[in-house]
Amino acid sequence: MAEMWLTMGPQHPFSHGLWTLKVLADGEIVKDAVPVIGYLHRGWEKECENRPYPLIIPMADRLCYSASMTWSHVYCKVVEEALEIELTDRTKYLRVVADEICRIQSHLMWLAAMGTDLGNLTVFLWALREREFFLDLNVKLCGQRLTTNYPRIGGVRNDMPYYFERDCLRVVKRFEKAIWNIIAMMDESAIVVSRLKGVGVISRKDAANYGLTGPTMRGCGVDFDVRRDDPYCNYDQLDWEVAVCKEGDAYGRYRVRIEEMLQSCEIIKQAMEKLDKLPKTDPTRVKVPKNVPAGTHFARLEDPRGESLMYLISDGSDRPYRLKVRSPIFVNVSASKHLVDGVRIADIPAIMGTIDMCLGETDR
Amino acid sequence: MPYDSILNWIVFKDPMVNPFYNVYNLPYDIGFKLWEILGGAIAWLINLIFPGNGASKFLVSQEVTGILALVLMVVVIFAVAFVINLTMIWEERKVLGRMMDRRATRVGPLGYLQNLADGLKTFLKENITPSKADKKGYMWALSIVIGTSVLIACMIPLSDRWFIADYGAGLLIIFGLFAIAPFMILVAGWAQNNKYALLGGMRAAAQMISYEVPMLIVFASVTLMAKSFNINDIVAAQVGMWFIVPQILGFIVFMVAAVAEAERIPFDLPEAEAELVEGWQTEYSGMKWGLIMLGDYFRGYVACALGVIMFLGGWMIPFTSWNAIPEIVFLLKVFLIFFVFAWIRAAHARVRTDQILWLGWKVLLPLSVINLLIVLALKIGGMV
Amino acid sequence: MTIKYLDKFPRSNARTLWVLKPMWVTLKNMFKTTLHRPVTIMYPYEKEWVPDNYRGRPGLIFEKCLGCGICKRMCPTTCISMIEVDGDDGKKVDRPQVNLGRCMMCGYCAEYCPVNAMIVTPDYELAAYTREELIYGPRKLAWPKHTEMMQVHLKEHLLSDLKNGVTDKPTAFYSIDRPELNDAKCIGCSRCVKVCPTGVIEMYTKGENAAGKPIKRPKFDLAKCVCCQNCVDECPKDALVIKEVL
Repeated sequence: MAEMWLTMGPQHPFSHGLWTLKVLADGEIVKDAVPVIGYLHRGWEKECENRPYPLIIPMADRLCYSASMTWSHVYCKVVEEALEIELTDRTKYLRVVADEICRIQSHLMWLAAMGTDLGNLTVFLWALREREFFLDLNVKLCGQRLTTNYPRIGGVRNDMPYYFERDCLRVVKRFEKAIWNIIAMMDESAIVVSRLKGVGVISRKDAANYGLTGPTMRGCGVDFDVRRDDPYCNYDQLDWEVAVCKEGDAYGRYRVRIEEMLQSCEIIKQAMEKLDKLPKTDPTRVKVPKNVPAGTHFARLEDPRGESLMYLISDGSDRPYRLKVRSPIFVNVSASKHLVDGVRIADIPAIMGTIDMCLGETDR
Repeated sequence: MPYDSILNWIVFKDPMVNPFYNVYNLPYDIGFKLWEILGGAIAWLINLIFPGNGASKFLVSQEVTGILALVLMVVVIFAVAFVINLTMIWEERKVLGRMMDRRATRVGPLGYLQNLADGLKTFLKENITPSKADKKGYMWALSIVIGTSVLIACMIPLSDRWFIADYGAGLLIIFGLFAIAPFMILVAGWAQNNKYALLGGMRAAAQMISYEVPMLIVFASVTLMAKSFNINDIVAAQVGMWFIVPQILGFIVFMVAAVAEAERIPFDLPEAEAELVEGWQTEYSGMKWGLIMLGDYFRGYVACALGVIMFLGGWMIPFTSWNAIPEIVFLLKVFLIFFVFAWIRAAHARVRTDQILWLGWKVLLPLSVINLLIVLALKIGGMV
Repeated sequence: MTIKYLDKFPRSNARTLWVLKPMWVTLKNMFKTTLHRPVTIMYPYEKEWVPDNYRGRPGLIFEKCLGCGICKRMCPTTCISMIEVDGDDGKKVDRPQVNLGRCMMCGYCAEYCPVNAMIVTPDYELAAYTREELIYGPRKLAWPKHTEMMQVHLKEHLLSDLKNGVTDKPTAFYSIDRPELNDAKCIGCSRCVKVCPTGVIEMYTKGENAAGKPIKRPKFDLAKCVCCQNCVDECPKDALVIKEVL
């Protein structure tokens, strides 16, 4: 068969979101690939320049539907840095709990998508079933399932309700058991492992050159996590480990994410313990001035997909002069040509599934 | 003769007294009696209006009854195959629903009528033919894929009295027709003028050819053991011992190959929806797609039925000669095998193109040859 | 290599063809869901329980509302507009109207409402046939079964308080931020009086100017003020500013 350009996306089942991967296919073998993004561009950064600071938080939720908590967190963090506000311990641990719930549900969303990418609908439904419990936790914490709108500049929206700790620990306990069923479906299945092993390999050096972050980077042996190496929100006071895998293939990225979910459970449990020790009346939110002093600031944190960063230029008014978003997937997707080069067409969903695409934050 | 009562026209003659069938055949019997009732009633009505005409007597004459009984028999056999097929789809959906922790079918008692509702829905969809498609190839390939699938499903006997014809070639012709579809899938993939469909068609061809070979070798070893291609003979040869006992290797190889032939997960590469939108079915819309799905399940039914006939003793109940309704026994075995198919579908992911070919040529082919050697050794040793 | 979950989970090369574990897991699940029904919620017939603080569409407690317009000011999608309606006593009052076609359920209106008249409701079934139906007027916004949880209370602490170790005095901007008059800029036009929803501003005569006319200045009853900033926005000479207490 002659070579042909195969357009995968934007309405293609493999592309989770609106993006296109143009693939030069020689029969089944991929010779070249061109990622095309920008279908979901909404002018997010420009929109922010016309809004007072607090009103950007719900918009930051919309950057990524499954990582809304971390995106509004990083926005609040950058404004807090501009205002030089120190958070209270209770706020920090509440944010940790919310972030880790967000991380687990985002990874479960990824696992579900991974299941359908590999053709196994059972994993999809089981992972979404587990995710539903974490979304229920979101509802109990802040009243909404996906667009949480929970962090505030200088705190969080509300303290956790009295029943939240009990429910949270129950869900985590249940999840730690139920995840083994899904692991049995994926890791113990020779088919899944042989689909993932050895495809989409990226070396440490290439990962550094492309600027990959997050589980994609840790999947190829780079031992770096913003939560540990540039700690924020008292992550350094919790006892947990960074999941790193040396292989750099799709299976390595898969294992990193599974391990991260289990580590997140640990973090939630410890953060809940710490919250228990803090007095219940500790402030969770401080009053912040409307206007942010002029200056440039940036804040970063560990998103479920990588390192998300916001860069703020403020001019002393009540709206940002410029708010730049560094999206992890925008960078990671640039490596897609490298990842899919030379593999078969059947491998593309498996490889790009482990990147965990989210187009809201990519196109902004 | 007065011919005034309807009972004078419907007399329920012996179905064996006819020029077409000389062995007892249950669907033929049903068709015969159906025509007795239907034709007799029509003849009686005509005779009421025009007393003493020749058309009424012609309708109930032996030859006409025989011919129309054949037609009705075909209808009965197709209807039963269709109902079996619907039941299997229902079974699969229920099993998948249970395994995936979700509700499955909801329409009708126990959700049984969901398939009809889905069929109605696909029927109401717009029927689109791509303007750049090769119209003849597009329609003919589809017709042949569906046609052969339905044909072999109708040719599967449910018991020694429920068959469409009892002939020597038996399984051979079923296997022959079973193998036509992949080539037509290739044609369909080409004719749709769609890159996904083309890739799907190529995958179908590569996959089916590689799985045809071990399947036929296993089939050869089974026929070698039974000394016949005839289905009745193959089942009769398993009275003492099912062929699954000496040929467990062959059974496994056959089942894996059958899953691949029926294009089901984990071997549904030609319609891998994650990478090729719907594979070779991408441009088929509306009821065309519905019929393709139906045809797929007909092929799944045939694959299960062949497994039952060749390895699980067909319609026999083990350790007893009592068998009141052999059709039910046969269907229960078919549904059991199909349960395993659905189970595999729930448990496993899709394999890759190179892996499926690797499995076909490097694992299943040697295993099937070993199976053949075992049968040969048994034959030479005089064990069977 | 710190993938710890694999330690609990040894794999060996002998199990390369291991495809039976997933089948065992799914079979177990099949028996489980046959005994206990699947987790699916049959949505239109049965609904998931949502807590009272669920952020569905905004609701309004009509009699509590001041008509201050903070909800309108804080709405990120500007879907709230203040319209004049007949109040309970027959007088015209300003009340919020929400365009739910644009509402993104962030709950800011309920959070920032100084009198907790705006609430969040657990009502999420908002489909309508026309866009006009989605514009909820003040009466339609009512949610009679409202509970305490639906009123989102804004509890902020002052940074100065925290520095002094006071952690039990939660407050909010509407109870401490107050407008401040720059006397030199004021022209005594008394527009601020007209826009004040709570009626805390009065004009008093400060003296007489050179031409003999009275100099009028606004006087604030700061206890009742809710810091809605309407006077600040309305002031033609920027004589009023909000003085933030931090």
